[in-house]
Amino acid sequence: MPKPDFGFAFAPNRALDLSAPLLPEVQVVLEAEPSIRACMACGQCAAVCTAGAFTPLAFYRLVLELRGGDVAAVGERARHCMLCGKCQMTCPRGVNIRNAVLLMAALAPPKP
Amino acid sequence: MLGFMFALVVLLLRYLWWLRSLWRRPSSRLLSRMFSKHSLLAVREIFAEGLLHLRIYKRNRRLGFMHMSLALGWFMMIVGGKFETWFHSGQFLHGTWYAVFFRYFEPQTAGGWAGRFWLHYMDLGLLLVLTGLTLAIMKRIRKRILGIHSSTRHTLVNRVALTFLWMIFPLRLVAEALTFGQHGGGGFLTGSLGRCCFSSGMLAGLELPLWWAYSLSLGAFFVVLPFSRYLHIPTEMALIFLRHWGLRAAEDLQPEKALQAFEIHACSACGLCLDVCPAIKDHPFQSAYFLRALRSGKGWESLASTCLSCGACEEACPINLGLEKLRTAARGKIHEKHHAVYSYLPTVAPVETSRVDVLLFTGCMGRMKPATTKALKDLFEEAGLTWVHLDEQESICCGRPLALAGRASEAGALREFNRNLIQGQQARMLVTTCPICLKQFRDDYGLELPVYHHSEMLWYCLRAGRLKREKGTACFSYHDPCELGRKSACYQAPRELLQSCGTLLPLEREQADALCCGNSLGALSLSLSERQALTSRTLKVLEVPGAACVVTACPLCQHNLARQSRLPVRDLAEVLAVTGLPEQHGQRTAALAAVQEL
Repeated sequence: MPKPDFGFAFAPNRALDLSAPLLPEVQVVLEAEPSIRACMACGQCAAVCTAGAFTPLAFYRLVLELRGGDVAAVGERARHCMLCGKCQMTCPRGVNIRNAVLLMAALAPPKP
Repeated sequence: MLGFMFALVVLLLRYLWWLRSLWRRPSSRLLSRMFSKHSLLAVREIFAEGLLHLRIYKRNRRLGFMHMSLALGWFMMIVGGKFETWFHSGQFLHGTWYAVFFRYFEPQTAGGWAGRFWLHYMDLGLLLVLTGLTLAIMKRIRKRILGIHSSTRHTLVNRVALTFLWMIFPLRLVAEALTFGQHGGGGFLTGSLGRCCFSSGMLAGLELPLWWAYSLSLGAFFVVLPFSRYLHIPTEMALIFLRHWGLRAAEDLQPEKALQAFEIHACSACGLCLDVCPAIKDHPFQSAYFLRALRSGKGWESLASTCLSCGACEEACPINLGLEKLRTAARGKIHEKHHAVYSYLPTVAPVETSRVDVLLFTGCMGRMKPATTKALKDLFEEAGLTWVHLDEQESICCGRPLALAGRASEAGALREFNRNLIQGQQARMLVTTCPICLKQFRDDYGLELPVYHHSEMLWYCLRAGRLKREKGTACFSYHDPCELGRKSACYQAPRELLQSCGTLLPLEREQADALCCGNSLGALSLSLSERQALTSRTLKVLEVPGAACVVTACPLCQHNLARQSRLPVRDLAEVLAVTGLPEQHGQRTAALAAVQEL
């Protein structure tokens, strides 16, 4: 199903099509850390994020972007994480966020 | 003796392969240490640990005796056999087999009191080994007899090697006894056995086959040795020498090179790491299995990712292997494609400050536990200390969570930021509220300032009289955080503080034996339910009858325990700030009196 287009927008279309097949690299990440699927985007992680005070990093948004297939953005943003673990401590669904972030950061193109 | 030769050759080849990285650039420190007292210290450690197994003995006397008797007894026999042969034949050098089968070749050795001494000495060695062997067999049948709960599940190769090893000494006993029975003589054990059981002429034909059985068992053992857990015998000796000569393990995973190779192969699968592991009942990631996976090259990834890195196994390991370092190296290898970018961090402007007593660093968790910080500041006020809260406004991570995940090399920018916060400040000490920050600042920051945990600092204040507390009726149970207890050896300070204002209840597992709260920064792939199960187990120990409150000294422990605990979980500073205050005591008695009047 194509993304809905209303003919006007000032922001890029971020509709998530959950029926679209996942990119192979995204599937690799989800298989390596299946608890990512439990994320419900409650935002607790973003609330406590240490890096979030300096840069727009929010794990739940990374999950949404990962599902949406925006692998490059996910990889780049995941590199900002300090791996402090506060998000994982407070996640109500017990997502292994640190492991997920390590895997997501590996999606970024290698540093020159 | 083909077996022995084979083993020797295989060992030499393997060791040279592992040490190959050293030939290219021989370290001058290594060479200088080789011919110094360090070698003597190494020999002493080999004797104390390799033969006498003193570290095992200190933990568990029966187990220690079992290992010692096998090792020492056999060593006694080898050395004694050599001397005996020399004594009787006058020659020092023989083929390797001569001393071993000396009994068979020269059964009727006389030689006066010295000859008899050697006979009894050799029998004593044999008896020692057989005692150990009996304990070992009992251990396989009922572990509790030797005071342990879990023992290693061995691979097939190890079981085969074990069988050959166990057959060697009984066969020797019988062979010697038979020889002495037939030809007379013998020591207190073999001679008496021979005289009462084996003196019949019919048994003469069994003599040669028994000696052959002994020989084959011994040879087979040596053939299997380099591929089994008994590789630890020579490898441990080499490891002790290399460590004393200053060789250190690499930071990244290289299981076939240098010290790491020796460490991985020096594990004897003794099983001491199993009993102490908080997760022994649920997960097979204990160090013995982890090292086995590293040796085979398969399956180590999940064992590295699920381990809590609580440090209990490293504390228990009798040969002091660098287990934590190997785990973090393994994690780093799994995620080697991870790189971090921290260029978004603002630059810290230099500050102009006057001299203060304490620089307070609350780290990333400071934001989540404001009650601890507030309580600590109240205590500073009470103690009359001046302070600066370094990261009150802009708080980032100290960098240790990255290190525990195996990505220590990425934490440089974080350390820079934090160092800039400290630079320019003048103070007597740096105090952290989190033991993880404590370890990072102490080990990796290279500060000139002494670094203390807030429990250590508060205890100093208590002893110096800056804080006064009276013992009240409150009862606490204290949870030793892994990073403060085992990893920083700080057990006393929190206990003294709690004893000063209340009663500290004894626990089944505490101090170096304490369980992990489950909020591990090392375990990357444990599921939520698995972590919760670990926390429950720890809470079962902490929720002793009579405890009104669980106290801990780490914000991560506090957070995680509080999620599942029936009792309130508080930080040490919070408790100390409101308990046992001298005026409070007076206030309480006044309040009680008021109530009684009603």
